Amino acid sequence: MAQEKIRCLLAMLGTDVHSKGIRTLAQLLRDRGVEVVYLGEHNTADGVINALIAEDADVLGLSYSTATYLHYTHDLLDKMRKAGVADVPVMLGGLIHADDEPALREMGVKGIFGPGSGMDQIAAFLQDVTGKSLTGDASSST
Amino acid sequence: MSAAADVRGAAQITAAISGGDLRSAARLITRIEAADEAAAPVLAQLYARGGSTPIVGLTGPPGAGKSTLVDQMLAQYRAAGERVAVLAVDPSSPFSGGAILGDRVRMGRHNTDPGVFIRSMAARGRLGGLALAAADALTVLDAMGWDRILIETVGVGQNEIEILRHADTVIIVQTPAGGDAVQAVKAGILEVGDLFVVNKADTAGADRTVAALREAVEFRTHALGAEAWQPPVLKTEAAGGVGIRELLQAIDAHHQHFRDHPKQFAARRRSQARARLVECMAAALRARRGDDEQHDIFDDTIDDVVARRCDPQTAAKRLVDSMS
Ligand SMILES: Nc1nc2c(ncn2[C@@H]2O[C@H](COP(=O)(O)OP(=O)(O)O)[C@@H](O)[C@H]2O)c(=O)[nH]1
Ligand SMILES: [Mg+2]
Repeated sequence: MAQEKIRCLLAMLGTDVHSKGIRTLAQLLRDRGVEVVYLGEHNTADGVINALIAEDADVLGLSYSTATYLHYTHDLLDKMRKAGVADVPVMLGGLIHADDEPALREMGVKGIFGPGSGMDQIAAFLQDVTGKSLTGDASSST
Repeated sequence: MSAAADVRGAAQITAAISGGDLRSAARLITRIEAADEAAAPVLAQLYARGGSTPIVGLTGPPGAGKSTLVDQMLAQYRAAGERVAVLAVDPSSPFSGGAILGDRVRMGRHNTDPGVFIRSMAARGRLGGLALAAADALTVLDAMGWDRILIETVGVGQNEIEILRHADTVIIVQTPAGGDAVQAVKAGILEVGDLFVVNKADTAGADRTVAALREAVEFRTHALGAEAWQPPVLKTEAAGGVGIRELLQAIDAHHQHFRDHPKQFAARRRSQARARLVECMAAALRARRGDDEQHDIFDDTIDDVVARRCDPQTAAKRLVDSMS
């Protein structure tokens, strides 16, 4: 009677302080049945990686509202490789410019959910990369 | 997998965890949370080696400042060179089964410190299984060799209170707001508290809350005799780091009390073991499906007793027989 849940670590890196988007995402994911480990803003790459290891999260989600995301994401993925946790899929949300998507995918980002992405897309992505299914009541989250 | 391979695999994971492999430990806790029986042989080996790490539990209403207190306690323990693990338990949404585990936000400054290990756990609406999962997670943390373990849980339901039975020192956190102290007396939580903390001492009514709690605690301990531990009632302002040193001193004093009264400590350990055994037996019963595969045997038996189709004694005998 195993009860598998998708565990998703959500964080903001660096000086980004517009946390409204990520807090909303946390609630929407919870309503879909995801266990969200919420780190909030002002995190360093090392801090996020330590949390990722201790929490054994299935997915790491980062939210950005400033233009520095290429630099931060590159640095994080590099450190994830060094820490031996590059197998954990990374998804990005927030103000991601469509022009940057190829570069981000090249770095190893698995999911990119810029402005206009819907919860159904994100839920499908999570189930796809984790191989676990979401059982939450999707009707309560639009 | 053969039984021998199972034992070898378990020995490997056990060695990795005792050797400080954080990822192995974290993954085992995930297996525990999923109620995966594959965790059992590893837990058996880890349990055999454990029992020496002091476990402090904190509980109280949502927003009382428990996570902020834990953050401050971590800062002081780290300053003293102690390595600390935290298990932070939050409720799951009864509607979706999901959860937002947000305790780490208050402890963010410790994320980069290898001397701190924080694991969040969702209650997952388990029928009594939460305390069992938490206890097993504590067994893993214990085997990892931390100097101390802190466990935070929201003091709302019986499930959460059950978790506290696994702690050596139980801290009940209250605030001056909304008659928390009165709620505590009602919830019977006074009985399980070794230390009482009135947090948010900077807000109105703190002294009144301390006085009310003290009266309630003294009324209860009065009957216990002079050898009994007298639970102190402390005032803290976690957000400003005020009163934390005194809190740590009170925790030490409680440990010292147990050292000075080994019989009381032995009684605590026995009651911990008893609670855990009962939980394990209940879990074993729940794992057995009833005739219709919809309910577990335990649930079905409760129905039978309520409907007076079966008397409690016969029902209990039936349950015990079903386990063999
Ligand atoms: N005024 C005041 N606020 C506090 C104090 N300690 C914590 N808080 C605030 O209370 C809120 C809830 O704190 P948190 O630690 O998350 O509570 P928990 O739900 O019990 O873990 C946060 O906004 C804290 O900053 C305190 O001593 N005084
Ligand atoms: Mg908390």
